[in-house]
Amino acid sequence: MWTSSFPGRFGKFLLSIAFIASVTAVFFVLREALDTTLIALLYLIPLGMITALWGLGPGITSALVVFLAFNYFFIRPYYTFTVHRPTDVVVLVVFLVVAVVISQLVANAQAGLAAATAREREATQLYELSTALTGLQNDHAIAQILARQIQAVSQGEFVELRITGPQPFTFHVPDASPPTRTPELTVPIESARGVLGEIHLWRATPAISSGERRLLQTFASQGALALERSWLVQAESRARVLEESDELKSAILSSVSHELRTPLSTIKAAASSLRGREVSWDSPARMELIAQIDDEADHLNLLVGNLLDMSRIESGALKPKREWNILSEIVGSVLVRMKHLAEAHRLEVDVPESLPLVPVDYVQMQQVFTNLLSNSLKYAPPNTIVRIQARAAGEMIHVQVSNEGPPVPPEHLERIFDKFYRITAADRVTGTGLGLSICKGIIEAHGGHIWAENLTRGFVFNFNLPLVWDGAGPTQIPMDPEAE
Amino acid sequence: MSNAPQILVIDDEQQILRALRTILTEKDFKVTTASRGEEGLTLAATLEPDLVILDLGLPDMDGVEVCARLREWTQCPIIVLSVRDSERDKVAALDQGADDYLTKPFGIEELLARVRVALRHAASRKGEQSKVVKAGLLTIDLAWHIIKRGEEEIKLTGTEYKLLTYLASNHGRVLTHQSILTHVWGPADADHTEYLRVYMRQLRKKLEEDPERPQYILTEPGIGYRFMADE
Repeated sequence: MWTSSFPGRFGKFLLSIAFIASVTAVFFVLREALDTTLIALLYLIPLGMITALWGLGPGITSALVVFLAFNYFFIRPYYTFTVHRPTDVVVLVVFLVVAVVISQLVANAQAGLAAATAREREATQLYELSTALTGLQNDHAIAQILARQIQAVSQGEFVELRITGPQPFTFHVPDASPPTRTPELTVPIESARGVLGEIHLWRATPAISSGERRLLQTFASQGALALERSWLVQAESRARVLEESDELKSAILSSVSHELRTPLSTIKAAASSLRGREVSWDSPARMELIAQIDDEADHLNLLVGNLLDMSRIESGALKPKREWNILSEIVGSVLVRMKHLAEAHRLEVDVPESLPLVPVDYVQMQQVFTNLLSNSLKYAPPNTIVRIQARAAGEMIHVQVSNEGPPVPPEHLERIFDKFYRITAADRVTGTGLGLSICKGIIEAHGGHIWAENLTRGFVFNFNLPLVWDGAGPTQIPMDPEAE
Repeated sequence: MSNAPQILVIDDEQQILRALRTILTEKDFKVTTASRGEEGLTLAATLEPDLVILDLGLPDMDGVEVCARLREWTQCPIIVLSVRDSERDKVAALDQGADDYLTKPFGIEELLARVRVALRHAASRKGEQSKVVKAGLLTIDLAWHIIKRGEEEIKLTGTEYKLLTYLASNHGRVLTHQSILTHVWGPADADHTEYLRVYMRQLRKKLEEDPERPQYILTEPGIGYRFMADE
């Protein structure tokens, strides 16, 4: 329908006439051997071909030319347009009528075929478009495909899509600034809910036909459907996220209130019994109760701290304050703090001082080691070995915290870093269920990776951290010469 | 009791004010409280307290700013209180002239220790500064430049010596990374925490019995260092 038409309109007429002339020349040579009526019949063949090839106009014109040529060259007297024999008059008239009728029939058939081909192409293009748009949930991708298809189909010089809706944007092909003149065609992208955007097409020649306009309108409505579908899917997934975060919130609340109430009950019980003078002034129970209040207050503080950290990690507000640090110093400080908790286990620390400096947040890394250690101590049986090991490997440092505790079922290995995820029932082991997910959050904020594995005998937490910071190592440290 | 030290507590939480007033009064301090920054500044100007305990999270103004405004006219010790995870605020307050910090919730013994150290430093600023600092087995003679562990003299490099004397002459107080770096290496190197890490490790190896579990040079995570001397 839009294929460039060679030969041109004028050329078709010239070609037809040339064709007739050459056929006439052949017949002229054979004039004495052929009967006039046979020549008239034979002329119908090139006429049919001309109409089939170049259309009705050249066909009818050729028929008239043949009518004259036939009269001039083949009907006696030759080289005049006069006719002497009445039969020749009949032949001429019948020839003209038959030639015109055949031309029209052939032309009709051709037009029907062309229309069918055009319809088939339209259907194919629409099918291709709708296949390409299926399942797309990204407005930009939809606009891109729609614009490309319109450009391919229309051969326009410039196609621009203006999408309104929640996040308005424009997309155009080719990737250049649009022509300054007003577009030749503007089609709204419309759905039942209103206008979602507009298609602008620039194409000066050939002028846009009504068929093209109709096809572009169909494209626009396909685009509208795809956009609407994508918006619905987005809205739905937002709703689902909200619903899930609601569920999560109630899970957090129930876990948190359980965890907070335990130390609070202890504090309340101890404080009220001290206040109520039920415990005599010099009784050893008095000191015990005071120690309990102190310990549980610390525990409560830890819980609140964990919750705060978690919410920071979730909201992306956990930004490590990196400095070049000595890993063994961080580990050492954690061990000092956790000394009383590790009494039942044997701790083996293999964090060489010679390791390169690591660019980490001191406080956050303390927390990672504290959480991994306290988790290991909680699950490993007493008198077993808990080991901390660190090695430099290329541009990373690899740290392992291993214990001889029971293995974790393989399907849980990934999920132990999820928040509030527990393998054992919540009432059997104390804690917030947040420790490991905080570790994961901190390690990932440092550009590292954390994972857990079962050993042949025991269980290990692994993590690695980059040894470079902004692509560089620490600066050279100016060292004094050692004194004598 | 007329010469009992006067302490001004600026905090917007009434429960904390109540607890601190009870405890500090019990320990023979005179206690005045303010729940807003402006009120605190006015009270400080009229009372001229011996020490200020300042919460960094005040409703009307930034605690760091209160600190800076106090430092415009008084050298009285300031101990800042803050919640956990606000290292940046603590460091900002310390760099604005605060003497020490405590993280809420804190134990009262910790608070009293900090108060004693701060008052002693204020006193030594006015009068004689002690020339010899003792910490466990260590003796640091600031006048004669001699450092001993027991009877054995310890050799330090120039930088190590500068570092140790700066820490020891401020014993009991927290010193921020920036203030140590500026004092020992100069303002141009104030961001090179790695210098500190490496030199502190060397210093600890020479001074501490167990460098992994230091008793004298303590790390204040995210803030700086503190030298612990005998009281």
